[in-house]
Amino acid sequence: MSADTLLSVRGLNAAVEGFRVTEDVDLDVNAGEAVGLVGRNGAGKTTTFRGIMGLTPVWSGSVRFRGEELTDIRSELVPKRGIGYQPEDRKLFTGMTVDENFRLPIWTSGSARGIDDEDGVIEQVYDVLTELDDRRDAKVQNLSGGQAKMVAIGRALALQPDLLILDEPLEGLAPVVVENLKRHIEAINDRGIAVLIAESNVTHVPDVVDRLYVIERGDVVASGDPDDLASDEEIQKLMQGSGTE
Amino acid sequence: MAGTLETALVQTLNGVQFGFILFMIASGLTVILGILDVLNLAHGELFSIGAYAGIGVFGFVIGVVGPPSGVLGGVVFVLAVLVSVLLTAALLLPVGTVFEALFLRAIYDRDQVYQLVLTFALLLILLDVKKFVWGNTSLRTDAVYSAINSIPTSELVGLNYPTYNVFVILVGIAVVAGLFWFFDRTKTGRIVRATAIDREMATAIGVSTDRVFTLVFALGAFLAGFAGAMAVPPTAATLGMGTNPLVLSFVVIVIGGLGSLRGAFVGALLVGVIRSWMITLYPPGEIAAPFAIMALILLVKPEGLFGTWGETA
Repeated sequence: MSADTLLSVRGLNAAVEGFRVTEDVDLDVNAGEAVGLVGRNGAGKTTTFRGIMGLTPVWSGSVRFRGEELTDIRSELVPKRGIGYQPEDRKLFTGMTVDENFRLPIWTSGSARGIDDEDGVIEQVYDVLTELDDRRDAKVQNLSGGQAKMVAIGRALALQPDLLILDEPLEGLAPVVVENLKRHIEAINDRGIAVLIAESNVTHVPDVVDRLYVIERGDVVASGDPDDLASDEEIQKLMQGSGTE
Repeated sequence: MAGTLETALVQTLNGVQFGFILFMIASGLTVILGILDVLNLAHGELFSIGAYAGIGVFGFVIGVVGPPSGVLGGVVFVLAVLVSVLLTAALLLPVGTVFEALFLRAIYDRDQVYQLVLTFALLLILLDVKKFVWGNTSLRTDAVYSAINSIPTSELVGLNYPTYNVFVILVGIAVVAGLFWFFDRTKTGRIVRATAIDREMATAIGVSTDRVFTLVFALGAFLAGFAGAMAVPPTAATLGMGTNPLVLSFVVIVIGGLGSLRGAFVGALLVGVIRSWMITLYPPGEIAAPFAIMALILLVKPEGLFGTWGETA
């Protein structure tokens, strides 16, 4: 683990409903880095992320964030340590407004994150996700799919995290929205926030991330330069069928 | 004709008054169900303990304040009664906190049958605690009811209606407003709602669900105690007084939507008013009417009038 390693996952065996889904997953994210985790549906991306967040049982392995073992602490403390999480299915707090969804993480974890200017942080979120600026008071269930994804990202961003974990943020969106959201993710990363993105479409991420991991059947089978991996025939073969996910 | 109108108005007001008491009980039950996913069979006993404890607190506070005399004295007396009700409800806060932390927390991940058995066991334990503390005989506190009724209010508009019932309605309105304000406007209330909407995502933004669960159960106990203290002055505290309100609260939350606060409000007023009308129109139907409405709602809108809780309070 190098000095600037923010997240270090080693031998992660995480389970879903009593079944082991990931097989000794190893991955690292350095401070300020953007890292991709690609794999087909069911490959173990979401379970890896949920294992990092403490939302699913971890049978064995280690998840260290800034050197602290996260598997030893209660799951509600993980965001307080500085990890923002956008789940695959958004999981917005429906019935509440965009603004309320952004403020909730500050109310729950703001003091632990050293946030003393709630409104200032909220404005920073709107500065990044500009499309939501005039939708502040909209109920989140009335938003488009792309806007809803942005709210889920913005909610994670409101924690002022050091690491932002995005689970398939680009999945199911129109190409123009995908490109727009990629720019937002780049803008977030440009602010020094490390980003870990899961995608089932390998072509989505090379221009957004610095490094790429490929996961298959719960196991990390390749890692390296995103452009090299995206153009690798073996990887492409492995990812076949991702278009239907 | 005027007499018929007055009777209809009085019966409606009686129904509204009973509806507010029912709402105070059902709101706690439905909030606990909505967020903890626990059907608390012991809730009626918390209401009952509120009634017993309320008699003691009323006795103490009224002993200090004395009977009302004049307008100012009346205001002071009403405030003293209100303080007594709040103090009584506050006594139930630690009871709810201990129940949740000590008993319920251990079985959240288990089948709901365990919750029903556990809360039924708590019901029986509380029943025995009441016998142990207050004995088998019923207790009354006529002083509060008669003293507040001696303050003229409805007579001012030409209606012969107990002032205590007006007091219950006004306090009920304040409780409804307070609960909606809490869940819609305060940070804590919205964190509770977020937890009700998606417990896991709430954890992922840093919500301690243990704390929220304890808070919600304690709030439910507070509301049950509050309702017990409000309900007891016109009647008496008896060992079995927790059963009927519990059963009617179940009816209320099924009508309103399991876990819906808004639904509990509408359901409670509906049950209260219809039950009251039945007493005048067809007394044998008083008990059956709320269940008939519930059956009808279940047939037409099985999820209840307002669905589940959280998305809207």
